[in-house]
Amino acid sequence: MSSLDHNVTTATGSNRASRTRSRARACSFGQFSISLTVALVIIWSWNGSDFDLLKLANSGTRILDFLGRMLPPDPSVLPVVIASSAETLRIAVLGTVGCVILSAIFGLLAAANLTPRWVHLPVKALLAIIRGLPLILVAMIMVGAVGLGALPGILAITFHATGMLAKFYAESIESVDPAPIEALESAGATMFQRLRFGAWPQIAPDLLRDTLFRFEMNLRESLILGVVGAGGIGFYIQMYVRAFQYEKVATLALVVVGFVVLIELGNSAVRSLLR
Amino acid sequence: MASWAKLMTPAGAISLGDIGFRYGRETRNTLSISELHIKAGQRVALIGASGAGKSTLLKLIDGRLRGWSGSCRVLGQRLDPQRQPPRSWRRKVGFVFQEFALVQRETVRRNVLHGRLGHVEPVLSLLGRFTDKDDHAVDRAMCDVHMDAFADKRVDRLSGGQRQRVAIARCLAQTPRLILADEPISSLDPMTAQSILTILRDRASARNATLILSSHQPALVADYVDRFIALDAGRIVFDGPPDQLHEHRLSGIYRNAAATQHERPHEFA
Repeated sequence: MSSLDHNVTTATGSNRASRTRSRARACSFGQFSISLTVALVIIWSWNGSDFDLLKLANSGTRILDFLGRMLPPDPSVLPVVIASSAETLRIAVLGTVGCVILSAIFGLLAAANLTPRWVHLPVKALLAIIRGLPLILVAMIMVGAVGLGALPGILAITFHATGMLAKFYAESIESVDPAPIEALESAGATMFQRLRFGAWPQIAPDLLRDTLFRFEMNLRESLILGVVGAGGIGFYIQMYVRAFQYEKVATLALVVVGFVVLIELGNSAVRSLLR
Repeated sequence: MASWAKLMTPAGAISLGDIGFRYGRETRNTLSISELHIKAGQRVALIGASGAGKSTLLKLIDGRLRGWSGSCRVLGQRLDPQRQPPRSWRRKVGFVFQEFALVQRETVRRNVLHGRLGHVEPVLSLLGRFTDKDDHAVDRAMCDVHMDAFADKRVDRLSGGQRQRVAIARCLAQTPRLILADEPISSLDPMTAQSILTILRDRASARNATLILSSHQPALVADYVDRFIALDAGRIVFDGPPDQLHEHRLSGIYRNAAATQHERPHEFA
């Protein structure tokens, strides 16, 4: 190697080392800035709220007193609990049916491998906005629009769940492997045969799994919809809490827990079949 | 001379004339074939480096390529560069894909049954109704590739060699008169590759079907075909029996391709 070559190599090497060092410095400065910002946000939240560990420790007797007032659970409300639970289940079922129908439409429109950019990008943005709206806010708007009862609950669940389920459907459609569909085309399959035998078997388990997951979420969310007057068991929970009838609240809480566990067990069993 | 040869093409053969094709914004033709005839029942291997045009030629013969120029007649059907060939023709041409192209979550039997979709009444098939003839064709195809014992096993639980057998069975279930196979042994070990080539050769012979396969392993496929067609930059640079393709000629083909790739790397990316 000539001395000129050596000098060029050395210069290039030192330039690269210098660039690496400055990049490392920039990286560590960025990490420090992020850590500082997170710390400041936590301190701001702590000071601004009424969060006090001492106060929490001193309220032990109060918590025990509150739990004591829930015992024994009052079984006299069981007929009301069963009827309102059935209404909650109906809200979740019909809300899921509604969001499945809307999600099938919006999922197809949002799939980047099916529609042009000018269609799927605005649809994806719309779904993101829908997901961003809190369910309680949607339920309050629906109560204002159609009045008290199960209907606003169903509409709120339908609207709110579509934002998430349509996104999942679109992602499933986008993940379809086109090779088997091309193979079916080569074998002489019609368009509907290609969709039925090439695309559907690839996405069906995912769609069913996502729908079951969403149903489970819808059921949990419909439990609290009654708080704003949108039907279901939540209405009675709110009513008994305000009337300080905690033994009745305990019965409601036990039924809700049993209800959710049952649905979750059912869903897990179905999901294991889909693997 | 060329037009006379086209007129004299026997039924069931492939006849190409003045074929030209290029992908998108490429500056050179991916295919430039002035004339090519393949007789019915022949077993042909397409060889050549990556980007030589083997897969594109197979796609053209399979009727899935659009935007080419020239004339192309396959199994008596004149292919249109802008239109899909009719379904009645499609079912006569079977294609074995390089990466198998199977529905992974379905069983072996279901995947092989897909080969019958070109034969069945579309509405009945959508309702899951297939005839005894279809079931018989599926059973026979699975036996031919020795996969009948795995009929109810999911494809995603099979090895690469077994998946390739399923892909071949799907093709055979079509009862094709022409079998096209795009690098069917590229991802297989030598022993499995030989068994796949044996199946392809024997099944094609038993059904009196024409076989065209592409491969990067000329030495391996030489015993299974009776004609080599070597492509380089879309042109036919050798056409003859395997024993006439000498070592120096073969290395020349691959050396030329390597030089072309070096000069125009963006076209091979």
